[in-house]
Amino acid sequence: MADAHGQDIPEHALARLAGLRRAGHPDGIFTSDFSVNEFLLVRKAGFEPVGLCVGSCIYHLGFQFAAWGSNMELDVLSTAMYEARALAMERMRLEAAQMGADGIVGVRLTVKRLEWDTKVLEFVAIGTGVVHAKGHQGFKGPNGQPFTSALSGQDFWTLLAAGYRPLEMVMGSCVYHVARRGPIAALGSIGQNVELTNFSLALYEAREIAMERMQTEASQAGAEGVVGADLHEGSHNWSPHVIEFFAIGTAVLPIEGHEADDIPDPRLVLSVNS
Amino acid sequence: MALFSREPLKTRTTEDHEARARAWEEALDRQTLPAFVTERLQNAAIGRQPWVATMTPAELLLAKSHGVKPIATVSGTCWFHYGWSWTEGHEEGWHHALNRIKREAHAAGANAVVDVRMRTLRHSVGPSMDFTLIGTAIRVEGLPASPDPVVATVPALEFVRLLEMGIVPVGIAVGARYDWLGNVNGNGWGGSNGWSANSWGGQTTQWQTGLFAGNQPLTELGQFWEGIRRDAHAALRSNAATMGNGVLAHTHFGQILRREQDKQPPAYLGRHIVVGTVVDTPRGAGVPHDVEPVIDMRDGLSPLKRTGEVRHAVYDTDAQEQEGSI
Repeated sequence: MADAHGQDIPEHALARLAGLRRAGHPDGIFTSDFSVNEFLLVRKAGFEPVGLCVGSCIYHLGFQFAAWGSNMELDVLSTAMYEARALAMERMRLEAAQMGADGIVGVRLTVKRLEWDTKVLEFVAIGTGVVHAKGHQGFKGPNGQPFTSALSGQDFWTLLAAGYRPLEMVMGSCVYHVARRGPIAALGSIGQNVELTNFSLALYEAREIAMERMQTEASQAGAEGVVGADLHEGSHNWSPHVIEFFAIGTAVLPIEGHEADDIPDPRLVLSVNS
Repeated sequence: MALFSREPLKTRTTEDHEARARAWEEALDRQTLPAFVTERLQNAAIGRQPWVATMTPAELLLAKSHGVKPIATVSGTCWFHYGWSWTEGHEEGWHHALNRIKREAHAAGANAVVDVRMRTLRHSVGPSMDFTLIGTAIRVEGLPASPDPVVATVPALEFVRLLEMGIVPVGIAVGARYDWLGNVNGNGWGGSNGWSANSWGGQTTQWQTGLFAGNQPLTELGQFWEGIRRDAHAALRSNAATMGNGVLAHTHFGQILRREQDKQPPAYLGRHIVVGTVVDTPRGAGVPHDVEPVIDMRDGLSPLKRTGEVRHAVYDTDAQEQEGSI
């Protein structure tokens, strides 16, 4: 049966619609939080979803002394924010490995504060485990572990089309205390327009450290580059002088044997929608 | 398999930390970059370190097919205290940040910085703000590194789309202006287009807003405000003229604040800032694309309609400054 434009609806779908076939699937069901588009494009990329993978970590932040008047990294907090996320991600990856997934697509990392204690945070990593439909083994992440990526299903297809495969999510965290001793007081004049260099350099240094850490991870994973890199700044309800700079992205590697000519010619579209 | 395969972070010694802080201080002072930043950017440029891009895979694909190579994330920050002029402080803050992001892009051997976002932290450190620009430095294949990389506030996707049509987004222009109406105590500083010098300033507005005043346009206040806005736009135009020949995608922020005065009609402070993306394009250039119907396979906001989110959230809720500097 074909529709007006000659697009065939597969036999299996018609049989199911006509009530001729039972619903039982001996090879199990999959779960995912893919949208329709994501599902179609993940399939187009030659993968099948296996199941939703979740990892979480409830973490207590240790005590950290911050000298009131100085710029400094709060390394106890940096370590905490990093370690907790890494643990959540590893647990999620473990779930994926147990399902036999080649990797995880669409990973989202969230941080939640708990009502009853400001020093306790919950970190959650959640994504959809996917497996190569033909059993190709070349898509796994470092050390044969499932790859992790923050990319949506659409992004996943596009990345593969561009000749790259995801390796793992890389991150860097730096919690930094910005000095409270206002340089304004030292100026002896409130009425000036002047740069607060002390604050400027605090932001620079914190951002730089977070980026360096992310880059180090990407190097260790053997990546060629990091795509979708993002820098978040957050205070997680700490004092306004304590800021976390968090760099995160997906480390990627060129697919072997993929030629530049294999890249589909993208068509640029001007939308007339407003 | 180890549950925790990642390396814990290396803690820095106090000496190391202080040395880096000194390097930053020196760099900001001399308008250069600390050695470790230059090293990171240069390593990314020659491929010794992985490149880092804020691009999405779609942008990466397009970049690849159009010979655009991502290098590294670059940024410029200037935390500025506006003691006597909020307006001029904002103008100056953005200009410092722009110069600094260009400096990093230059060290990375870039031709342009794309996907540049204007950011600020929400904090309460007196009358001050951090002006931050972040983007991805890129290299165009076959071109030598630019001594003066362009700063494009559009995502890589739009950057390439504009380039195809002979439009180059080259930078960010800022125009700002403030003035008083009827401030008898004098503000002691700042530009004035004759309004504050006028001791009758504000008088008309007081009559026009009085208890028995009927429906009417506020002529004096309206003219005063229009003058400020016109001046801000003139400043934007002259700032843009140093870079290109057009401005797209403006961000506007304007405020009129009223100040009560003793035995005088109330005074008004007006301030206005415009920020826009500067483009350089030959006039009358055609569009090489045909229109064809497509079905867009994407969730949420279509990139065909608009790429990314609002890119200048800085002036969205920025009405915290009620008193203090102008």
